[in-house]
Amino acid sequence: MGTIDVYPYPVPEEKSGQQVVDTIQKQLELLGAHKSGNFCVDCESYQSNIQTATQQRLLHLFHNSEQPATCFSVLDSGICLVSDLLFEVLVLKLTEKKTGKECYYQQRKGFKVESKGQRYELGDFIVKVGSVILASNFRGILIEVEYCPCVIPSECWNLMKEFMQSFMGNMAENPPAHIKSKMDTIYTPEDTIQQYLEHFNNFRKATSASVPATPNR
Amino acid sequence: MASASVNVSVEAVQEHKIQEVTLDGQEIYIPPLSMSENLAKLAHKIDFYKDESEDKGKPTSEGEKEAEEEASKAAVQPSLWPWDNIRNKLKAALTEMSVLLDVLNIAKEKRYMLLDHVSQDAPEAKSAIQLMAKKKGLQSAAGVLLAGAERLKKSQQEMGNRPQNEFHIELLKLRQNWRLKKVGKTILGDLSYKSAGSRFWQGGSFEVIKNTNIASGEGDTMASTRSSLEVVIPTELEGSAFVQVEVKTVEGSMNLTSAILRMPHGLGPYPSDAHWQTKLEAAQNVLFCKELFSQLAREAVQLKSFVPYIVVGNQIISNVFPNVQLSIVLCHSTGKKDKKSQHPGKVEHNHVLEHSLHQLLREVHFKSLNMSVPHPVTATIGVTKRRRMAGSEAIGRRELLEMTESETLLEQIIKQTRHAVLRLRTMKVIDAVASKYPDPQICAHWSCLNSSLESNVRVIITSQGYEAMRPTWQSMYLEIGVNDIKVVTRERRRIILSFEEKEIEDLILWQISQHHIAVCQSLARLLSWQYISHSSATGVGEMEDFATASSVLLVSPNSDKAIAVRSGPTTGLHVHMKSDAKDIDAELASILEAKWHNLTGTFKEVDLNRIDGRNFATKLELIMASVTRKR
Amino acid sequence: MDSTGAMGQVLSSKVAPVVENFLQGSVLDTSKDVLIHRLRGLCDNAENQPEIFHDHEIVFIMQGNPNQQPINFHARHSLMHPDAWHLRYLGVADIGDKNKLTLIRHCVDAGVSSNVVDFLNEMGFKIDFEFIAKGYFFHKGRMKVTVSKLYKILQPGSTDQVEPLSQSHLVELSVVAPRVQEQIGEDMKNFAEQLKPYILYKIELKLDHLQTV
Repeated sequence: MGTIDVYPYPVPEEKSGQQVVDTIQKQLELLGAHKSGNFCVDCESYQSNIQTATQQRLLHLFHNSEQPATCFSVLDSGICLVSDLLFEVLVLKLTEKKTGKECYYQQRKGFKVESKGQRYELGDFIVKVGSVILASNFRGILIEVEYCPCVIPSECWNLMKEFMQSFMGNMAENPPAHIKSKMDTIYTPEDTIQQYLEHFNNFRKATSASVPATPNR
Repeated sequence: MASASVNVSVEAVQEHKIQEVTLDGQEIYIPPLSMSENLAKLAHKIDFYKDESEDKGKPTSEGEKEAEEEASKAAVQPSLWPWDNIRNKLKAALTEMSVLLDVLNIAKEKRYMLLDHVSQDAPEAKSAIQLMAKKKGLQSAAGVLLAGAERLKKSQQEMGNRPQNEFHIELLKLRQNWRLKKVGKTILGDLSYKSAGSRFWQGGSFEVIKNTNIASGEGDTMASTRSSLEVVIPTELEGSAFVQVEVKTVEGSMNLTSAILRMPHGLGPYPSDAHWQTKLEAAQNVLFCKELFSQLAREAVQLKSFVPYIVVGNQIISNVFPNVQLSIVLCHSTGKKDKKSQHPGKVEHNHVLEHSLHQLLREVHFKSLNMSVPHPVTATIGVTKRRRMAGSEAIGRRELLEMTESETLLEQIIKQTRHAVLRLRTMKVIDAVASKYPDPQICAHWSCLNSSLESNVRVIITSQGYEAMRPTWQSMYLEIGVNDIKVVTRERRRIILSFEEKEIEDLILWQISQHHIAVCQSLARLLSWQYISHSSATGVGEMEDFATASSVLLVSPNSDKAIAVRSGPTTGLHVHMKSDAKDIDAELASILEAKWHNLTGTFKEVDLNRIDGRNFATKLELIMASVTRKR
Repeated sequence: MDSTGAMGQVLSSKVAPVVENFLQGSVLDTSKDVLIHRLRGLCDNAENQPEIFHDHEIVFIMQGNPNQQPINFHARHSLMHPDAWHLRYLGVADIGDKNKLTLIRHCVDAGVSSNVVDFLNEMGFKIDFEFIAKGYFFHKGRMKVTVSKLYKILQPGSTDQVEPLSQSHLVELSVVAPRVQEQIGEDMKNFAEQLKPYILYKIELKLDHLQTV
């Protein structure tokens, strides 16, 4: 586990998402990267239904294929619980409706987002080119770049920036917002999820503002 | 003064009584009594008179006696009606109770009467009698204790006198070492490794019986040597067994004919009248070997391998290296077999690997019993701590995959075998080379810290008498692994060798040739010769079979002599010396200085065999010393 | 709603252990040593010293309007390895079935990161009660046997200041299995028989212990 930066990649109007993905992948292959399977990061959201609580809560459940035994749960307050996959069953217990009883959490329909695609390895770097799919519609592209040997973002930012510019152009001018605040701390898998959550939320907002297929960054 | 009321509940039994059962099985019931009939019947049963006389006893007042008389009279009289008897008795009782109450009142009120203790005369000659009584009591107590002690002593003696092999004592001893349980009248024992973590299907139950033969028939002398306890071991566990591990070098294809049961002489069947402990231990060993073998056989069938493992009867054959195979044979002799199976062929049984096999299976047993304790205790049991934490620590895919990987026994033993073969080969090659080439000394320092999968050796090449010249040491470090040998040479070059012996030999020969060059360089420095050139890969001259020859060119301090040394791993050492060019006229006008004479000249080879000295270093030193002209 | 369907799917697709067979009893402190001795003989690894544990459990409750059924989550961590937290949901024990040899309840176990207390609080859970359990752990195959003493926490938040709850130890036998199996119950029953003289009541139903703390 090293440091990971996640960036959205713009899809021009005249091109389809698949075309852009193919272009990036071709560029990576030219750099000498080789395919090492698929990856998938998915997120489902639940809404609280507790009368006594002062405010409504949103609970996001994440899975990352890179940590297959783990389920990440993020509340909208930002706190992230890292747990076994079985935590999901516990959440389902909360969504369970017994006869004549109401549940505490409800799944939000049409809110399932996932980013999936090819995973590439190039030396110490792992690059993942993911197509973001919201409610089975293509919404954009997220590129995840990992530099494995280093866990402190500030130590390797320049190196990563240089590498990313080699195939992403000037998309990666600054570290992602989430990373910026903790450049000198040890990077954890939780941070990856926080980055994805931020992007997923942006895509959702963009969708609800009915501006299709353009990431707002 | 009213008498307290007593609640008497009378209840009839719900079921009808059977009067008789007719022959055809029909039951004739007595019809239940009516309420009043029942009451009368029960009342008849009450014997008020008896109750009074017994309970109150003798110290009753006059009035009671009267009542008694009255009652007896009433009893004699024919009863006028069913309740007459009862009435009389109750009346009498009431009278008596009233009298008793009056007496008590009188005694309590203390107005009319006072009650005093009746003073009794104290018994005389008190102390003497008391002493006597005490003495008697003590004596009888002592008697009881002595009798008890005697009995204990006797039983102790009996225990001592009893033969050591008495059944129950034997049973006690057996129970201290083996698991026993009683089923019905038989005593069953378990010699399997189940309680130690084994999951082998075959059970190991044995039966304990009393040996009655010796007690009655045979003489005392025999009885003392033989046990009165006998164990009956299932036939499939009889005899003795061991797992024979053999590493063989085979030419060409696999040699299947060796799959013959061969029993070493030392490990024969035990005599039928052996002690039960011996028998049980042997049977347990048989069971263990069987489990080991069946486990290996199962793995051999399941494992996919480049060269398939072959399981034939009681033998598993696997290829370790080309032409080297590992055969694992389960040898089990039941003792009833004839001696034919004793094969004269010599078996190279590998005790170390057999021991490793036993160790590996025991480790499997251990693991199945020893699970890491979950903290907190409600967490899942049966997984490693790392796996338990995998979720909450977000462990990556690769680490999770690594966690699931586990090696089978067969794979592990093959790895160990490979290493053992490789180590043995390396050892042999180094020894062979060292004895073949006496000139530079070859020392091998084997590390005492090694495992069954890795060992290290440092090979140092020195010249005798010149060990103090540290730069001449040609040392290399060999790390013997499972499939290959990693070598780090003196100049920190890393070389990976395969399992072929030739490669190690070549490497050592090349290192020897390098050592010679190093000797030349060091001697030149020592004798202040000039070191003109050095090439570690000479492109000229005879071709080497492998590697390259090195060469060095040295010039004497006043530059009139030059020595060229060429050292190759196969072509050997060649020393050439250049002397002054005599053919050039010293007075030639074009030569301004004497040093220009040194420009030309021819090299002639020195016959090293004709130079004195034990080794090359001495010889070279001699040459260099003898050709140096005084300044 | 399809949430129950999804639940069933998760439960069936993953072979997660979801059923806990358990028996409970108690033993007086004075006879605890005898019981420990006996358990050492009955359980695996008789040659080792019994493993000790020292856990802190916080029970969370989610309560809404009367239309919503309260739900309990048990968060537990070991005070010996403070970072390993464990979250547990326990169903209601199936008491009515007389044929079953043990009590059976649904359970879901999940290892979680150490910020679970804050997380549950933010999710809307409230702390119901908490306690400390300290004792010995044995196992025989997959069966866990714990002999634990429960302590009240005098000051919320500090796990050092504790007070024993009673003069006895809680004895628990538990096997977590993917589904209800008769054999497990039988094995447990047989094991419990071996402890007969020491434990006062076996197979007694567990009323929510410590509810009053």
